[in-house]
Amino acid sequence: MNRILKKSAELALLVLVFLIVIGPMVSLFLWSIAQKWYWPHPLPQTITFDYWAQALGLKTSLAIGAVSIVSAFTLSLLIAVSTVVIAMAIAVPAGYALAKYKIPFGTIVLFLFLLPNAFPQQPIFVNILQIFTRIGLAGTVPGVMLIHILVGLVYGVWITNATFRSIPPSMEEAARSVGATAFKAFYKISLPLAAPGLFSSAVFVFLTSLDEFTGTFFIGLPFINTLPLTLYSSSGYNMQFASVIALILLVPSVLFMLLIQKVLKAEYVGGMG
Amino acid sequence: MTSKGSRALGERKLPPYIPLLFPAVAFMVLMYVWPFISSVIQSFLVEDQPSLANYVKVWELYRKDIVFTFAVTLFNTALTGVVAVMFSVYFRLRQNRISALLSAIFKLPIFIPFVVVSQMMNSFLAPHGLLNTALAQLGIVNLEKPLQLFNFTGLSFGFAWKQIPFAVLIIHGGFQMIDNSYIEAARSVGAKMPSIILRVLVPMNKSSIIVALVLVYSQIIGTFTLPYMLIGGKVPTTITVDIAHRVNYFRDFGVANALGVCSYIMVLFTAAYYLRSKIREARQEVSG
Repeated sequence: MNRILKKSAELALLVLVFLIVIGPMVSLFLWSIAQKWYWPHPLPQTITFDYWAQALGLKTSLAIGAVSIVSAFTLSLLIAVSTVVIAMAIAVPAGYALAKYKIPFGTIVLFLFLLPNAFPQQPIFVNILQIFTRIGLAGTVPGVMLIHILVGLVYGVWITNATFRSIPPSMEEAARSVGATAFKAFYKISLPLAAPGLFSSAVFVFLTSLDEFTGTFFIGLPFINTLPLTLYSSSGYNMQFASVIALILLVPSVLFMLLIQKVLKAEYVGGMG
Repeated sequence: MTSKGSRALGERKLPPYIPLLFPAVAFMVLMYVWPFISSVIQSFLVEDQPSLANYVKVWELYRKDIVFTFAVTLFNTALTGVVAVMFSVYFRLRQNRISALLSAIFKLPIFIPFVVVSQMMNSFLAPHGLLNTALAQLGIVNLEKPLQLFNFTGLSFGFAWKQIPFAVLIIHGGFQMIDNSYIEAARSVGAKMPSIILRVLVPMNKSSIIVALVLVYSQIIGTFTLPYMLIGGKVPTTITVDIAHRVNYFRDFGVANALGVCSYIMVLFTAAYYLRSKIREARQEVSG
């Protein structure tokens, strides 16, 4: 009897958690296809995939509020890819140096890359806005990229650092002892061994850029409309399009994170968006 | 180009880590340290003169919002702590198909970015949103008077939805390190389950519970998207929303920075704990 009671309590918990976790996502999906959804109906009366078609530029519509997200999507991709390239080009050497060398003032350097996780970042964006306004970077694509690099760099350094730390130094030393230069030892030994970790870190930086909202909001508005900002600006009056964009952002985040989660420390994944 | 560069480096006997670290460190100094220091200095300046006027304005206009932010943060950190520890204990002690399914479901919210969570909650928690209509179908809510959730309650629902699974990920990881023999030993001397949990499991996993709570706490204080899209400019709202209003509507960077410094002060203890524990961890890895 006791066992049956326990089992049913467990099942009830499962159903409850399932409903709470899945409910908001279902709401998002229903809104993305709801053509007619008049209160107090629990479900939309008429559904259509037109909003998806319009948002993805497959269909042009003159309906009020219809947005094409193709340009925002292209811009977001462009910014994300550039961010990954630049942030990783800076992060990989730093992560490697922190892992392999005994650095005087090393603690201060570590401290520097931990600060953004310990303090709220919004006041930083506000002050960067002031600086960028003075030098003409506010409201420009390079300005937004710099913000995304800032957000991604910290994770990039930490993840690559952890990756290089996990490679025993004896491997590179062996290569050096048979005459390889420091660069060749790195290029031929450490880099291939670190490749999965570096790839995960690049994917992570890509996602932080794709989903970045707060910094872009301050630096980019009103000229730079990335996907998250288009989501925000249609959210007020156009639930359908906002929901379509939200789902388009949701899918890659969940898929990629499931792919790379094993390589990541738990605390990184909480810092997104 | 390369050979010339390396010769120049060789002549000055520059240690190799300097050129490797320089770009990243220089970037952080320009894009993080400078704005950080500037935010503190600017909060004490009015028209380039030292003044406390910004803080006076914060006190006059926003003290309710500071209390609100603090209340939301404390409530959600406590809620997350209690619920996440309960689920983590459950996942540690019960390994069957139901708990495996549950832990899979729990992974989803962690990976969904805040901007998407905000839009979800915006539609889900609306007066005529899915939650209210679903509860009405069950007869719990009268749709003439739907639950108003664009406030403390809804904000907490959104934070809990996102942060509890994240905390479970960290705390459960800690519980998995505890060997079964401890639980069996406690059981063999006659300890009941609740006291095993409270006297053995939780104390042994104290450090990961604290780390999870520290991260959740500082994240909630700094989150802009969710309160902005859920509550916006209504009173009371969070500091992050006030900062955005100060900047966007008034171009008033002084008061925005004073509010920013208030949020720094709120995370001072958690930030100190986080930095200290991370640096200690890094040092141990180097020496070990």
